[in-house]
Parts: sequence; structure tokens; C-alpha cells
Amino acid sequence: MRQSHTFKKLLLITAMSGGLLLAGCDGDDGKDGKDGADGQSAGGEASSPLAVTTSGFAIPGDAILVAPDAADGDDITEALSVALFDLPEDALVVLPKGRFVVTESIVVNSASGLTLTGHGIHETVLDFSTSNGDDAFRFQGGNGITVRDMAVYEAPKNGIKATNVNGIHMTYTATVWEGELEANNGAYGLYPLKSQNVLLENNYAFGSADAGIYVGQSENIVVRNNTAKQNVAGIEIENSTMADVYNNIAVGNSGGILVFDLPGLDKAYGGNVRIFNNHAYSNNAANVGAGVVGLVPPGTGALILATSDVEMYNNQLTDNATTAVAITSYLLVDDDLANYPANYGATMGDGWSPTIKNVYLHNNTIARNGDDPQGALLQPIIDGYGSNMNSKGSPQTFPAILYDGIGELLSNTGDLAGFNALVGPDAQADGVNYDPYGAGDQICANSNINANPAPAYDEVNTGLVYPDDPADVTQVDGEGNPLPHLLIDQMVNNTYLSCLQPRLAPAVVNFRNNIYGCTGDDLAEAACAL
Amino acid sequence: MRNNKNAMIAALMASMLMAACGGGGSSSDDGDSPAGTALNAGAGAPSGAKGSCDAQTRGVNWDALMTEVCPNLSDYKLFTDASDPTAGPTRGGVPYDLSTALFSDYTTKYRFVFVPEGKTVGFNESEALDFPVGTVITKTFALPANTAMRDGDELVIETRLLIHRTDGWMALPYYWSSETDATLAIAGKRLTDLSTINNQGQTLTFDYAVPKAADCTSCHSIVPNLTGPDDQREQIFLPIGPKARYLNKDFTYPDGTVYNQLQYWAEGELLSGLPADFNSVEKAAVFNDETNVASLSDSELNDKARAYLDINCAHCHRADLTLPEGYAGAAGSSGVQLEYNRRYADAPGKFGVCKDPVAGGKDGYPYDVIPGNADESYLQFRIETTDSRHKMPELGRSTFHQEGALLIRSWINQLPLASCSPVP
Repeated sequence: MRQSHTFKKLLLITAMSGGLLLAGCDGDDGKDGKDGADGQSAGGEASSPLAVTTSGFAIPGDAILVAPDAADGDDITEALSVALFDLPEDALVVLPKGRFVVTESIVVNSASGLTLTGHGIHETVLDFSTSNGDDAFRFQGGNGITVRDMAVYEAPKNGIKATNVNGIHMTYTATVWEGELEANNGAYGLYPLKSQNVLLENNYAFGSADAGIYVGQSENIVVRNNTAKQNVAGIEIENSTMADVYNNIAVGNSGGILVFDLPGLDKAYGGNVRIFNNHAYSNNAANVGAGVVGLVPPGTGALILATSDVEMYNNQLTDNATTAVAITSYLLVDDDLANYPANYGATMGDGWSPTIKNVYLHNNTIARNGDDPQGALLQPIIDGYGSNMNSKGSPQTFPAILYDGIGELLSNTGDLAGFNALVGPDAQADGVNYDPYGAGDQICANSNINANPAPAYDEVNTGLVYPDDPADVTQVDGEGNPLPHLLIDQMVNNTYLSCLQPRLAPAVVNFRNNIYGCTGDDLAEAACAL
Repeated sequence: MRNNKNAMIAALMASMLMAACGGGGSSSDDGDSPAGTALNAGAGAPSGAKGSCDAQTRGVNWDALMTEVCPNLSDYKLFTDASDPTAGPTRGGVPYDLSTALFSDYTTKYRFVFVPEGKTVGFNESEALDFPVGTVITKTFALPANTAMRDGDELVIETRLLIHRTDGWMALPYYWSSETDATLAIAGKRLTDLSTINNQGQTLTFDYAVPKAADCTSCHSIVPNLTGPDDQREQIFLPIGPKARYLNKDFTYPDGTVYNQLQYWAEGELLSGLPADFNSVEKAAVFNDETNVASLSDSELNDKARAYLDINCAHCHRADLTLPEGYAGAAGSSGVQLEYNRRYADAPGKFGVCKDPVAGGKDGYPYDVIPGNADESYLQFRIETTDSRHKMPELGRSTFHQEGALLIRSWINQLPLASCSPVP
């Protein structure tokens, strides 16, 4: 039995796209040569620059131009899709100058040495507000990819996602959701995931309902000289290893800088994250996010959640209404310990741990935080410090450094020892355990600077929700479980968290055989000497 | 008009017995029988020379397939009637279908595999079969006027090619821009206001997106877990559907033969290595829009839901298990892994049970999967919504698969209760 067919008559794709494709595939047009351009300068020495971006990047004359004659408001989706399909190695692809509409996700696979540039962060704007796709750009696989001198507006989902790339560099690039911070403002802005050698610099992320700048499950990361404004999370490093985050500004977000280890991910845990010489201020936006990031208390300068081996130093953490820095185990998010084996057993086997160890806060300048603490996650703690239900017996300014302490206490009492049986051999070998904390596991804060104006110096406090020493437990419930003690004391000349930890090693990014970060191009950078 | 299937099976069995005893050659006097002569006998094969889209070949234009990106589907000479990609493959082409298929906006899919003459497909227990270099798979998408009458009127929209070249698989999308031919659509194509009547008699209207060429890789690749700063491995492009477990079902061939596809291929000398103990071959449950979910037993429901999640989600949501060492699906970094072979009891969290959404989330959906409460399960929301911020799968779906969503809803609601489940 034959079915009858009706065919819809529609226009052919444009002759232009067909022609471009064939030229690209045949590779015989003589123009797709390897120009050897690196991230810093175009190498087309034989040809004079076609243009120079506002950041000073010279575009060589033999670059691949996408819709060079497009006028403001034109839809350049098709030209962009075609130009970025089946690229030659080391291609340099140039977006036109102006503000253009893109109506589909732009996907780039296994690009090697690609540079995708506009004419400047303000000069080339791609508007995805009418896109039928999800992410604005998605780079999957590939190596040595640079995105620069452009802005992506109103992506339906993520702004610029790069997954499983070895060498991803984004610079002078913006992801923006204009207007108020709203729940439907896409997802992540700049979003390297599962990548190696990640360099994010000189970017601007505004308005994301999740993290403006997010690095997930990646290794060897430098995030520097970026501004993240009015996102739910400004800058977030999640389940990532060997990351340096420095010289950034996080302002007007719900949480300024987050370091998270979340359960259940393929890369089970991160570590060796250094956060230094950043300015995280006035991160007081209402949290419109969902999922775990939706739990971040508005007014948080920095939040370190269940990530061990974090060093945070010489940052300015000011004017955050809840706290300058919260350091917490995952038990604050989920205290149903009895169900941890059922719910997290597999990821705990891979080395994720709800506890937090070896966090070292030093030489941070802390001022004017905690005047209006918020957030459902912290509400009982906020209520306790704001009433006489804390260790001082009278209402206190909310701690500028807040440590939950419960994971450490339960490790020290041996109550988590049963979890040791869950830890797989690789994670064990990497030091993951639930033994009592040793000296190297301590959470330490010292030499932080109280920059409050007089007479409010005494309002910069360090708080411990639970004491870390079982001997200090004085309040238990009917079943002998410790109750929150809400310890609080001044941050300077502190009694709590008074210890030192060794410094962490700097992150090294190798991008196109150049070394970036404090051991590379920033060797002489002041922040790297701190 | 349908053929008498029982008679055909009897004839087929007889001819196979003869083939087995006679030891090959043209032992069969039934020209339509798979036995005796290889299914791809006379199909030709790539010569190794650079092809031409203009070549006037008698059969498949293998050389063009191997080296050229042709502007028209007809250039490849894959169908005897170039205007009809739903039937009549050029010599050597074999039709097939899958027990449970990816949902693609209610389209009917016509699949053919072309294997070069003299080559065979290697059996693989759990991954896609090992198709030799030169293999071409065609998949044509047609939207039926009524999903309850898929033999009736339909709109042929696009034909996608998967081509196994010497440097790996690649994909090309062709859009049926006219009655007579399909044209290359590197940038995809969006069709608006298509409609169909579903099995419940409702008229559905939606846009349909022919994917961009670059989109193919989003689903069809496995990606390396980069193990260090010097790891330069690249993603690997692979077919998804033609796995033993989805082919392990009966198919009605054009001559009326009804036969298990794997055995048909094996006996037709197209497939090598099929285990002698055929019962050991994986077999995914059948699910389609005719399946009555309400009448399924718990184990049938589980089997069908697992097959549905596997074919709709696990091309991306997969890690470890039967993958090559060091590779994962494109969403292998996600916490949710939904492969057919993953044992639920080992880690319900891998199926999203009581798992906080990480890259995403929405108010009102606290966990990905809440056993006993599909209504508040984010996974359920994601497979039902068409909001591109949340929808899953990300590609190839513009409308909501009511039948599939009901299957998953029922599955979530009958899962063993967990700590995040509503208190009974």
C-alpha cells in the first residue's frame, strides 16, 4: 500500500549559503589558510588589518566575514550558521558591526583554533530575544577557541556555552539580559563546562537568572578582570579544580562570588580554588533563581559551599546585606543525613562530600555587611543572631564571616564515620574521608581587615553556627543531637577560626601554547604577588 | 492491500533451512528471500576516488557520498524514484525501524541502511552496531495528517543522511523544498503552523524545525572526559538508533516478509557476529502512540519507560557503562543519566530521584524526579514544556509528546517511594 505524499513548497535556502558551504568544503578557494592567529594578535602579517576591534585586536584581511554588509536589525542567523559549520583549522570569523537579530541557537562543533570576533563589546551586539533556540552559542568539543569583542543579548537559555573544549578563551565579551533581574532571564551567561584551560577575562555579565560567569566541572581556570552585575550569582566556580579568580568585580548580584561542590555531577568535586583581589559589593538583589542557586541568600558577598581547599584573600567584601563570606557544608542545604547514602551514595563514592575542609580566608577587607540579613536558607540562623538566642545572649550584627561548623563537628564526634565506607578507592586516595578534622582540614580566617567606619568597628563579626569541638557542645536535643550554638565574636583578634593554612598553588592556563595566569602572562601583576 | 504474513514466514523459513544446509550460493529460488545472496549484493561500493555530485551512477553514488557535500539529495542516487525517499531504495538499501523511537513531533520516520557490497555490519551488544566505512543511513521525516493513520496522507519534510566516511561519521540534512527533490539545508529550516490530528483526535498545530547540520553533532556525539591540560581528544560522531536492542524486533519487509530484523540482516549476510544464543541479545520494549499505558503491568511500564528514556534522552544523558573508556554523552556531565543498561537500584539519584536541579530548575519543581509525584518532578516538566529555557530534549521537539509524557508520568508515579516522595 503506497501512501500519497504532499510536499510543502518552500523556498530553497539562499544561494549564498549553498555557495559558502561548498567553498568551505572544497577548501580550494585559497582563502582558508592557517593564519596562526593567537588570542592576542592577529597573525596575518602578509595582509594589512581589515579593522581593529575596540579592544585592539587586529582583524586580518583574509578573515572569514559573516554578513559583512548586514544592516542594523538584520537577521544574520543563516549566514552565521553556515559560516560556523565545518570550519577550517585556525579560522578567524568576524561578525559585522552593529546590532543584529539571531533566531536560532548557533552551534559550533570541534572547532580547532577558531577565533570568533566582533568589532567590540558595544559595537557588535547579537540579539537573541526572538530566538527559537535555547543557548545563544554552544561550542561542543574543539580546542583553542577564542570568543571576543561581541555581546549576546537575551538568550533564551545560556549565553555562551562551551562544553568539553580544551582551551576556551572569552574576552571583551558580554552576556546581557536587560531590564530587571527576572526568573526568565535565561540561564548562565558565560558558561564553560567540562573543559580544560579556561580563560575568561575582560568580560561583562549582566542580568542572568543563574550565574553570570559560571565555570563548571572544569580544570585549569583563570577568571580575571571581569564584571558580573545584577545576576543571581555573579561568578560561580562549581565542581572545578585549579581555578584562580582575581581582579573581578561582582556587584548587584544576589550572591557575588560562589564556590560550590554540588552532588551528583560527573566531576564529583573540585578544589584548589583561589579567590583574590576581587571586589564583591552590594550583592543585594532579590534571588529569582531556581534550583540550588535559588537558595543563595540575597546579600551574600561570597559563598563557599561544600568545596574544600579554597583560599580567599585580599578581596574587598563590602555592603552586602547578609554576610561578607558564608562557608558552609552541604548539611545547610540538606540535613537529612539518614538519607545521604540513598540520595548521594553514588556521588559520595566518587568523592563528593557534604563537608567542607581547608578554607583559608585572609587579608580580606570587610566593611558594612550584615545590616539586613535575608534568605530562607539562613532564616533560623538570622533569627538567632538577631535575638538573644545566640552565644552572647543579646541581638548581634549578623556575622560578616559565617561558618556553619556542623560538618566539622559531626566529623569530630565520629557521627559521619559511617560514610567512610561509601568512599571509593580513587577518592580515598585523594584524601576524601569523614575522619575527625586534622590541622590541615581546619577552616581558618585571620588577618582580615575591619574597614567599617567608626563607630561601627565592633559590627564585623565571625560566627559559628555549631562549635567545631565536641567538648564545646553544651546544648543538645532530647536525642543527644547538638543544637545550634550560634557562637559569635569579633572578627579582628578573633577567637574563632584562628588558624593558618598553607597557601594554594596558582592555576595555570595553557591556551594555544601560551601560559596565562599568575605563573604566565600575569607574572608581574600585583594581585599575583599577594 | 497487505500480504499474507504467515505464508511468507513459512516460505522464508524453508528457504533459510535450505541455505543453511546448502552452504550458500544461490540456493534459494525465491528472489525476495534474504537467504542465499547478500542483501547488499550488487549494491556497489566506494571506489576510493573523489566523487562527483553529477556522476550518473547505476546504483548508489558511493564516491560522492564519501567525498562530496552535494546540493541535492538526488545526487546521491539512493532511491529508485528520486522524488520518494520513503520507499524503493537503490539496490542494497534495507529498510528498518526501531522498537521505541525518538519522538520527533509525531513524524513518521522511514529508515534505510546502505552497506557497500562485500562489507558487513559487526554486531555490538549494547552500542550502535559496527557499520563499516561506506555505510549510509537515510532517515526521512514525514508528518502524517492523522497519527492514527500513518499509511495515509503525509507531508514529507526532510531526509537526514548519516554517512560513515573514512575519517568518521558525518551528517547532512536535506529539506524537501519541492515535490521532486530535497536540498541541502546547512542552516536548517523552520516550518510554521504544521498540524496533525493525534491518536486522541485532537488537532495539534506547531512549528517544525529541520535541524542545522551542526545540530546533528549535539545528539550524535560522545565527548571525551578531558583528563588533563594536555588532553586533546575530540568528540566522536556515532549513530544512535541502530543498536541491537532497538533492531531486535519483527519488521514487515516490502515483499510482505515479517521477520526479526537482526536475524534478517544476519541471514542476509549483512550482519556478522550475531550471537548463536539469540535469546541473549538485548531487546528493548516496544512503545508507540498505540500503546495503552493504563493497561501495562508494572514491569511492562518500567521496561517501556526505560526504553523511552534511553532513546529520547540517553544519547546525551549517558556516562560510563558500555561507552568507550573516557567518553560520555554530551550531557554526561549532568547528574542525570538515563541509559537502558543503568541499574536503577544502584543509584536512583542518577535517574534524578530526589536530585536538586543543578543547571536549571524552576519554582514548584524541587527535584528532578519525585517518586510518586510526577506533577512536581522537574524531569516531567521538562519533557512536557516547549519553553526552550527548560525543554528536553533540547533539539528536535517543538510540541509535547502526550503519549510519551503519560508513559513517564506513570513510571514516576509507580517508582518506589524515596526520601523526597510525598508522605503516603
